[in-house]
Amino acid sequence: MKEISRKLEDKLLLYADGQLIAAEQRAMEEQLKHDELLRNKLDQLKGMNQMLQNLKPDQPSRNFTQLVMSRLDEYPAYTNGLSIRNGIFLLVGVLVAAGIGVFLLSSGLFDNATTTLDFNPELTKRYFDQPMPSIPFNGKIVVNALVLLNLGLAWLVLDRAILKPYFQKRMQSAH
Amino acid sequence: MRPSFDMTNDPDHLTIDRILAGEQAMYAELVNKYKSYAFTIAQKILQNRPDAEEAAQDAFIKAYHHLKGFNRDSKFSTWLYRIVFNTAISYRRKNRQEFQSIETTVVDYNQDSGVSLEKTDKKKYINQAMAKLNEADRTALTLFYLEEFSLEEIASITGMQSNTAKVRIHRARLRLGDELKNILSQEALTL
Repeated sequence: MKEISRKLEDKLLLYADGQLIAAEQRAMEEQLKHDELLRNKLDQLKGMNQMLQNLKPDQPSRNFTQLVMSRLDEYPAYTNGLSIRNGIFLLVGVLVAAGIGVFLLSSGLFDNATTTLDFNPELTKRYFDQPMPSIPFNGKIVVNALVLLNLGLAWLVLDRAILKPYFQKRMQSAH
Repeated sequence: MRPSFDMTNDPDHLTIDRILAGEQAMYAELVNKYKSYAFTIAQKILQNRPDAEEAAQDAFIKAYHHLKGFNRDSKFSTWLYRIVFNTAISYRRKNRQEFQSIETTVVDYNQDSGVSLEKTDKKKYINQAMAKLNEADRTALTLFYLEEFSLEEIASITGMQSNTAKVRIHRARLRLGDELKNILSQEALTL
């Protein structure tokens, strides 16, 4: 079955909107004379435009303004995407991860975890004359930094996802 | 083409100044002025009247609390509708499981009183066809056909680039045409 190409469809829509330049418009009219499928498509687009003409906005309930004004002092429920319950779960997860990190650190697991990140493997040496840098890597320092980052994150979660929404809720119920 | 808008002459700025100076009641003026379009945007995204009402109300409250942060680079309405759009999207994500089917939405429209059958049918078919599009396309298309918004404003409200908005509206119109054709053919078959 014959189909109208995307490009032609685009042009047809512009034609229906009266947005083609004179020469293009004449060419389209010529094409329309000989193409029934195109004519049907044009009728379809015109029909749609007619149906959507004079589209009016939907009306909310009559007491909409009153309801908004009576709720102005409360903070909207959807300030962030995280509920207090999920915030608590996230906080527990972050604290558990930090706790495991601290436990492993104190058990001495990372005391001797020192290695060097070597950027000079055989393949690299073959193609580069200049030696690449080698970075000494201390596992204990890295885990310490991760634990610290986790604690910072835990503090943020506590503030944004638990304490702030909790006090907002309390403020709302006080009004 | 709609005329360009001079931000310094936006009459809403005066109202906003008074609200920020402590005249909270003045906010009702802004709510009254923009509630229909705000509700329409929420309705197009949520396709459920009670949720749309709540989302639109929440958006107005959110806008009120952030009024100080409105930098006046755009029209107040554009800024507000962007908040409505984002709030409705959040509601949609949260309520996805309880989301209504297209059929239920149509019942909502049929409940309108005092509307001619022809008009209600037209609206029903448009809504059925629109329901087949995604929320951003649906909103952009509605704003386009409401003829109150420039392409730049539609892009700003729906969080798209102007060019993207233009192309998407174009594509969505073609798709809507096909969907309407399908729905109307189905209707004709059931007669």
